[in-house]
Amino acid sequence: MISIRSLRKLYGDFVAVDGLDMTVEPGDIYGFLGPNGAGKSTTIRMMLSLVAPTSGTIEIFGQNLQTHRHDILRRIGAIVERPDFYNYLTAYKNLELLGRLSGADISKKNIMRVLGIVGLDTRHNSKVKTFSHGMKQRLGIAQTLLHDPDLIVLDEPTTGLDPHGMVDVRELILSLSADLRKTVVLSSHILPEVELTATRMIIIAKGKAIIEGSVRELLDAGRMKVTIETPSADAAIAAIGSSPFANTLQGRSEHGCVLQLERAEIPEVVRLLVERGIALESVTPVRSLEATFMGLTQEAA
Amino acid sequence: MMNVLHVELAKVFSKWRTFIGFIALAVLIPVIVLAMKAEGNTYFSFATQTLQQAFTITGNLMNGYTVAYIIFGSLYIHVPFLVTLVAGDILAGEATAGTYRLILTRPVSRTTMVTAKWIASSLYTVGLVIIMAALSLGLGIALLGTGEVVVIRSQITIIAADDALWRFAAAYGYAIISMLTVSGVAFLFSSLVENSIGPIMSTMAIIIVFTIISAIDVPILATIRPFLFTNHMTGWRFLFDDPVPWPRIITSGSILLGHIVACYLAALFILRRKDILT
Repeated sequence: MISIRSLRKLYGDFVAVDGLDMTVEPGDIYGFLGPNGAGKSTTIRMMLSLVAPTSGTIEIFGQNLQTHRHDILRRIGAIVERPDFYNYLTAYKNLELLGRLSGADISKKNIMRVLGIVGLDTRHNSKVKTFSHGMKQRLGIAQTLLHDPDLIVLDEPTTGLDPHGMVDVRELILSLSADLRKTVVLSSHILPEVELTATRMIIIAKGKAIIEGSVRELLDAGRMKVTIETPSADAAIAAIGSSPFANTLQGRSEHGCVLQLERAEIPEVVRLLVERGIALESVTPVRSLEATFMGLTQEAA
Repeated sequence: MMNVLHVELAKVFSKWRTFIGFIALAVLIPVIVLAMKAEGNTYFSFATQTLQQAFTITGNLMNGYTVAYIIFGSLYIHVPFLVTLVAGDILAGEATAGTYRLILTRPVSRTTMVTAKWIASSLYTVGLVIIMAALSLGLGIALLGTGEVVVIRSQITIIAADDALWRFAAAYGYAIISMLTVSGVAFLFSSLVENSIGPIMSTMAIIIVFTIISAIDVPILATIRPFLFTNHMTGWRFLFDDPVPWPRIITSGSILLGHIVACYLAALFILRRKDILT
């Protein structure tokens, strides 16, 4: 659905995006991760033709964005960073005007339908300047749905939301994919959000792709935090500290210690502790996108 | 295009600032007309003081046409400010509000968007001049009747009543071109910055500076004077000369039209190449 090849963007001497390749398949919820300044927003802006690439190609729906901008944007709904609207207009009027630009069905029924999806149907006549940040985020999602696009691009859609709002948006994203069969590109700083929603993802740093694949593969590929609980924590820490796994030791936990291990290393550590006569109560690997992300982006830095 | 224009007009006419110009004219013009009805003859006697020493002036000279002419001249330096309120905001306002991202991710070309915005700001400008014309002529005639237009400049010209209306129509037409030039300059500045105060202030500053340069009678400034658009904005006055100097009016009008086209094309060029980072 999206094929980006050798994408590059320079601002003067500064390289914002540096030869980025990425592929989004139909039906994906595609997580787009990277530290601040990695080039995520610039890439998304290039995908939406807000920013012109210095070089490289962007193909969406099998068409080149430069030559088929109009046809492509007709099939995309997007939120780019903050959900800014015409504050002096009502939520309904904002959607009506934006829908008109998108060639959407701007009947009252359709506008109220999308407002209903995001829970703003009762506030349709309120001016946007009276809305909280969370309500604006939800209105942002409503405007992406108005013209029934095939691809939805959400750049930081949960920024500034309270925990309930974040859960609502996460469920909404999952339902966009499961119920409405939309392809979603989700850029976020909130790693658990991507972990809980995305099916595939890319991590970028300094404008380059570090890794791309299914979330499951990426979680399995990286090191994971392993919490070992034992009544002999001091002995366990001493045993590990004098072994080849000394540098994996992250610290002491309430009832043992925490290590950063590859999946294949876990049995070896367990064998080491058992051979030293240390009783184990539990060994709990925690697969974390955060650990993968931190590891990969630190390596890139 | 019609869809985009509809959207732009809806946005322009949903903003409070759009109506400031109309309200200002709707308050100011009746006040001037009523003041002229009450004390116009005193004003007129003062203005023709020297003339009355040699001639006897009779008839209804303080009439609707004369009042409309006086209003035209006095408001002509203030209306540009009202014009810039909308034209200066129409592009920069999107950048300030962060709404470029909303409209430029739609299946609408940047050329269409810029053109629709230019048309919307131009329609507002035309509307402002039409309101000024309708109020000053309409109220003037309703309250003071018709009569000869007394044009007091370096010389006094008296235009016959039946010769006045077409001159007013042409003068307001010329005023539309002048105000569209101001609107075009503000529109161009609006494409360059991300805050609508900047274009409004810059346009007014340019008008003030150019007007001062035009007014100072120094030879070195005389060489650049023909290139200043403000020098051509007052060309409407020549429509009340007898005979009307058509070549001069056509030249000035063409220079203003050139400015309008140049500003539009420059703004289009800038917006088509602009990376939207706000």
